[in-house]
Amino acid sequence: MEAFSPVPALIGGAFIGAASALLWVGNGRIAGISGIFGQLLPPAQTVVWRILFLVAMVAGGFIAAMLVPGLGVGGPGGLSAEMIGEPWWIAVAGLLVGLGTKIGNGCTSGHGVCGLARFSLRSLVAVLVFFGVAIITVAVTGVV
Amino acid sequence: MKRTLSLPYLAVAGLSGLLFGAGLYISQMVDPLKVLRFLDFGAIPEGGWDPSLGFVMVTAIGFMLIGLRVAGRRAAPLFDVKFHNPEFTHIDTPLVLGAVLFGVGWGMSGLCPGPAITLIAFLPENLWIFLGMTFVGSFIGHYVQKALVARAQAVRT
Repeated sequence: MEAFSPVPALIGGAFIGAASALLWVGNGRIAGISGIFGQLLPPAQTVVWRILFLVAMVAGGFIAAMLVPGLGVGGPGGLSAEMIGEPWWIAVAGLLVGLGTKIGNGCTSGHGVCGLARFSLRSLVAVLVFFGVAIITVAVTGVV
Repeated sequence: MKRTLSLPYLAVAGLSGLLFGAGLYISQMVDPLKVLRFLDFGAIPEGGWDPSLGFVMVTAIGFMLIGLRVAGRRAAPLFDVKFHNPEFTHIDTPLVLGAVLFGVGWGMSGLCPGPAITLIAFLPENLWIFLGMTFVGSFIGHYVQKALVARAQAVRT
């Protein structure tokens, strides 16, 4: 298992957790990416901070890649940032991610990080369901 | 001026976004193949499973717990008048249905919304197809969710 990378995962997780904690203590907002993204649509409110957050998120990924080029994209273990599957496959997956996170009010960050830290039973149910279904999907489609 | 347009409020949003995106890169969550290898539990018997991304949750939740602790002593966040707690708290059909749909999409692509947006920094081919369709799905999902919640309320009353 040359790709096993617990240390970058722990450090990256700390960054994500610190970002979520900061947004909650500072602005009283949940760092749920699907919520921040999805509520840019009408009836949108408070658009400016959401756009700023998302643009900064892209910049954060870019800067981190400049500073520590050996990690993540193009890093050891033959990892890459390539999209997986044909265009129609990517389109269906993207549609399902948008639909599901909107209908279920959250994704890996909102339910997974913030919700679980709040000991929300609702989020725990969401996480168990989307994790379980994702594992089954990978087993069935066998893309890996 | 509106609170949400004040400099400290926007500085917090920007700094939080920067840290979040850096964390997604450092943890390698931005790599769809890495995510699929983490979700590939079928590879456990032959030793090909990559459990790395499970460790992301450990420190992410740990730091968020500290944030909640700090916030718990306050009546309001630093730069707004109230904490925006989640709108829904009960377990209902939209929650489970949404999680199922999201799970299929995540398992197909190895991408959840945060990494998908952060990948704009690296522009892999066909990323815009994914992001465009996520936006479309989110738009449709808004009305599906409203309809489902309205129906559930109609049943209850």
